[in-house]
Amino acid sequence: MAKKRGVGIACTFYGIGYGNGFPDVSTALVEIHDDGSVTVRTGAADCGQGSSTVLAQIAAQEIGVPVEKVTVVSADTDATPDAGTTAATRQTYVSGNAVRLASRKAADKLLEFVARELGVNTIMGLKASDGYITVLGYPQKRVSIAEAASRARLQGVRLVGEGTFTAHTTKLDENGQGVPYWPYAFGVQIAEVEVDTETGEVKVLKVIAAHDVGRAINKAGVIGQICGGVAMGVGLALMEEVVLQQGNILNPSFSTYLIPTSLDVPEIEPIIIEDPEPTGPYGAKGVGEPATLPTAPAILNAIYNATGARLTEFPATPERVLKALKAANPALKEDSN
Amino acid sequence: MGSLIGQPVGRIEGPGKVTGRAIYPADITFPGMLYGKARRIPVASARIDKVDVEAARKIPGVVAVLTAKDVPGHNGHGVLIPHMPVLVADRVRSVNDVVAVVAAESEEAAEEAAEAIKVEYEPLPAVFDPLEAMKPGAPLVHEDGNILYHIKIRRGNIDVGRKEAAAIVTRTYRTAMMEHAFLQPEAAVARVDERGHIEIHVATQYPHWDRVEVARALGLPETRVRIITTAVGGAFGAREDMTLQILAALLAWHTGRPVKMVNTREESFYSHSKRHPMIMKYSTGADREGRLTFVEAEIIGDSGAYASWSPNVLRKAAVHATGPYYVPHVKIDAYAVYTNNPFTGAMRGFGATQPPLAYEAQMDLLAAELGLHPFTIRWRNILRQGDVTATGQVLESSVGLEACLLAAARAAGWDVERLK
Repeated sequence: MAKKRGVGIACTFYGIGYGNGFPDVSTALVEIHDDGSVTVRTGAADCGQGSSTVLAQIAAQEIGVPVEKVTVVSADTDATPDAGTTAATRQTYVSGNAVRLASRKAADKLLEFVARELGVNTIMGLKASDGYITVLGYPQKRVSIAEAASRARLQGVRLVGEGTFTAHTTKLDENGQGVPYWPYAFGVQIAEVEVDTETGEVKVLKVIAAHDVGRAINKAGVIGQICGGVAMGVGLALMEEVVLQQGNILNPSFSTYLIPTSLDVPEIEPIIIEDPEPTGPYGAKGVGEPATLPTAPAILNAIYNATGARLTEFPATPERVLKALKAANPALKEDSN
Repeated sequence: MGSLIGQPVGRIEGPGKVTGRAIYPADITFPGMLYGKARRIPVASARIDKVDVEAARKIPGVVAVLTAKDVPGHNGHGVLIPHMPVLVADRVRSVNDVVAVVAAESEEAAEEAAEAIKVEYEPLPAVFDPLEAMKPGAPLVHEDGNILYHIKIRRGNIDVGRKEAAAIVTRTYRTAMMEHAFLQPEAAVARVDERGHIEIHVATQYPHWDRVEVARALGLPETRVRIITTAVGGAFGAREDMTLQILAALLAWHTGRPVKMVNTREESFYSHSKRHPMIMKYSTGADREGRLTFVEAEIIGDSGAYASWSPNVLRKAAVHATGPYYVPHVKIDAYAVYTNNPFTGAMRGFGATQPPLAYEAQMDLLAAELGLHPFTIRWRNILRQGDVTATGQVLESSVGLEACLLAAARAAGWDVERLK
């Protein structure tokens, strides 16, 4: 019975968006209502990663209302404008920007109305937060966003904003040169594993996961993405494989296609790094896909560190680990005989 | 109130999901609703001679059995090339292909009828290994050749990079085909609404694209197709291609009744794309201090029988093939190759997931050869602000890699000052 522990590291990067000059566009519509509540209309489908929450936060921040006042209507082709696909880690960056622009336009219409009402000569002299618009430097003078929106509407002002954002990239030339993606997210993970050199079984003990997301709009959401990414990476590293025979799938069920369960997921230490991206909403980039990239290579490097076994075929099933152990240490063959 | 940005605001759809109030497509019913079921055959390459639906039609409760001739618009779908048949007319190219689809008053009748369809077919030559598929004379999956896409990245001079290297490691890495394994198998409910528009309730990643695909297959203007995204039980890339959307719409269109289709887990494996298995041949060199001098890589991705996103996935693999390091001399070739395997497409990472298994292994092998700690070799190569990538892109802003490396290494208890 021999268990060996090791530590491995992996650095990765990930270009956000469709890339390669393809129009990567999102449009959003934002409306401020009489009671100070806000509707965001976006085509962005929330697949569980939390885009609707992030977009609500952005609209609330930009307009100056509590996030509970925002309703996000999403992903209905009769009711929402095209936001592009929920993929490529792009919704926080691309649709986040679109919602920010749309919210700014709607909010500025309200501020312009309030500036006239309060005798302020520029909207720069107003500040909106927590449901109130106040005069900068003279906070006694304020009006609630609900009251202002209601008065504006009765005077024929419509507080609607449209925002469209297009991510910058260029098509690669014949030598593969250009700006294929913008921005890039970065991640570094360090995995600690225990390898049973008799059975080939690998247990992942801990993963430290540091990710540069530009700016976290929702820290809980970012941590959730990192933890989910690590769990998925464990599957990629150690167990997941669609087995084919003559093009047919031999294991189309979860009794034969193994994915990590709660018992396989290690202790995870997420670290959020914020190096703001000037073109991102509040500096945000994204984390959905980047979160899963470093896990598997860090685990494979940890196996190498623990045992000297360098696997080149994945996933690192016990059979493959034993084979690699024998290749790394021919003496093992005699031990096992 | 401080800034809302960064706050761990609770998920706005969270309470609905944890209390079971969230509505997924399988939860939706309409009066008079029918149940749909797709029929596939268990061979990856065949010519269909006959689809006999008579026995299926006679099963009590069966309302419609549709085959290729019942597709009113373009009989194909696909995000880049709309060549995956909605219903196979004559040629099966993968086990994903649907030959016929049934609507019945009950799920049981629909299942029974789907099985009762007699499909006569002639197996055809097939190719399952992308390396074999690239050779001249290999069975053709599509008439225009098996190499769907090839991208080159060239920077500097690889021969100079080899000469400057104190250590060179060469390995070939192979990754497996993977399944997204989302919690909620595909489901869709389609109906013709009071305006005569097709309305589809579906868990999707991109409703506006689904509308394009459904309208094209049904031969309808896009304004007459409405996609309503329900709660989505995970996606990870598997909900980018059409699965049940067109089939359910087609049945609703033909019967004039609402139709629900729900995949079993097994059907789900056959219904959506997979992660590309990749064969990645890498040669990587570094000088005595561990600074990378070159990366040469050939990456071959198995596209399966249809294009889906394969060119874009292999492009992303190529662009990310060097890893997040400054490399002066780069030669990358990436290929997407058709085979008769299940089709591959988008999956979390989209082609940027497989190369790290190769380039990060290479980094540790080089470190071992040069007697460097894995931290040290990375510290000496990582991209920093102002650096140029393998595609010649200057990283102008937001390059937080050094901060990530330091933070992770410190959390692991590494003495980073000594290891730099």
